Amino acid sequence: MGWLLRRFLEWVNEPTPVLRIEIVRIFAPLAILGFMSGRIAHADEWIGDAGFHVPDLGGDWRQPLYIPALPSWAAWTVAAAMVASGLACCLGVRTRASAITFAATLVFVALSDRLETYTVTKLSPAIMLAVASSPAGARLGVESTWKRRKTGKRPKRVRPIGAVRFLQLLVMVMYSASGIAKARGDWLKVPLVLWSHLHDSYQTGLSFALASVLPGWTWTVLQGLVLAFELFAPIWLGLSRTRPWALVFGLSMHTMIGLMFGPVRWLALLMMTLLVAGYLPERLLGPLDALAERLEPVKGRASRRTAGSRPERVHEEGQEDDELPGGDL
Amino acid sequence: MTPRSQTAGKAAWRVRGRVALRVLAVVYLMGVWLDGAGCGIPAAVLPRAANYFVQVSALFPWAAITSIDYRAEGFVCSDGTWMELDTRPYFPIDPEDKENRFNRVMHFFRENRTTMTALDSYLVQSHDSGQHDDGIPRDRAIGGVRLWSLRIPIPAPGDRLERVSRQPLSSYPPEQRKAYYHTPRSRLAERCGRRIEGAD
Repeated sequence: MGWLLRRFLEWVNEPTPVLRIEIVRIFAPLAILGFMSGRIAHADEWIGDAGFHVPDLGGDWRQPLYIPALPSWAAWTVAAAMVASGLACCLGVRTRASAITFAATLVFVALSDRLETYTVTKLSPAIMLAVASSPAGARLGVESTWKRRKTGKRPKRVRPIGAVRFLQLLVMVMYSASGIAKARGDWLKVPLVLWSHLHDSYQTGLSFALASVLPGWTWTVLQGLVLAFELFAPIWLGLSRTRPWALVFGLSMHTMIGLMFGPVRWLALLMMTLLVAGYLPERLLGPLDALAERLEPVKGRASRRTAGSRPERVHEEGQEDDELPGGDL
Repeated sequence: MTPRSQTAGKAAWRVRGRVALRVLAVVYLMGVWLDGAGCGIPAAVLPRAANYFVQVSALFPWAAITSIDYRAEGFVCSDGTWMELDTRPYFPIDPEDKENRFNRVMHFFRENRTTMTALDSYLVQSHDSGQHDDGIPRDRAIGGVRLWSLRIPIPAPGDRLERVSRQPLSSYPPEQRKAYYHTPRSRLAERCGRRIEGAD
């Protein structure tokens, strides 16, 4: 047991590419804001007093906390704060503060309105708090680029980041728990669970076309594959040998979910972001790293480049920046 | 305080903060997993608002038996008849799918009388304000609503399929419709300003 805990802590403290958390910092707010966009456009109806609101039910299980509807101006202010902080986080401007503000607005809207709260709404605050507690913004951010130009220090590419470990575990935990819920539900008893979800207002042109042409057994096979993937996700994603295949399967699954269940596309994009950030093999992060380096000018780099030096070499000569924003989970 | 002790103090706080965050992360992950796995511990030990945020993983565990939609009718005072009331103008978020707020309130609260009464008042006031086209002429006041659930059978594989689309409430056979709420007759009479017969 002690050995297991020690090994786990070693894994948590192992250095990991900073790019992983930057992928989350850039793409998760975009997926979340995409999901929220339809609601934000009607903020006064959503969390304001212009629309219908469930009255105070005094402790009803469906209402975790009663928050009265806001006056319209306050609803629009919350919506504006959500958009501004989400975009600031994505761009790497005051990353920690913007991630915390974004998370706070997400918590508020989730509690304020049960009707518009879905998995994305409930999951997002944890993701954004993980971003806030990490050195996110150290690379590929507006602020870090300005700083780099001023100081000439290059960003650390690899360091221990507990938030990345948290997000890697979150993906495993989500799939595993979802698989157990499915196995306890109908997925082992009813062969056409997937098929049964193709016929409501989530239906897209693709889901209709596939439902029209694929034989019934294919839905049962797909159902079995999804259940096996989710139920045993900790194994598939935990073992280095199966991890790339699990990543491919997970990305394909979410792509199909996004294309076949219209409004679920934002959750699909969010999960794909977490999958890529957490489990993309390091050899595939290499090209992204090279691209990131090109986008991260350091002081003196441009002048040396004009003198004919190779940019990579100049970069190697730069000092590593230890004064990165934020601490670490 | 010397600069060295100040630095040591900061480092100690940083370590404490890191430990607190890690404990929080472990509690959250365990909460998500246990909740999805059907264990009641998170609901029993966490405050309700916190427990709400760990309920994220149990996605689509059940087969759909029918395709569900929700509709409303308004009681037109001048005619003494029920007409379909299009709720979409009054719930403009995601009007064409089941993430619409009217569908959501019916999904969660259709058996909660307090919420249904509040919804009744909201729909009547919204129509009578005459600001939107909702299928009932703007100049005809309504005195109440009837709220329905539609339970449309799911086709079997191999059946001829049709794209999901919104059809008038009246086009669905009675066995696919279920009324969950209607404004009490006394309230209809009060709003319409006359005695109401046979509105049920």
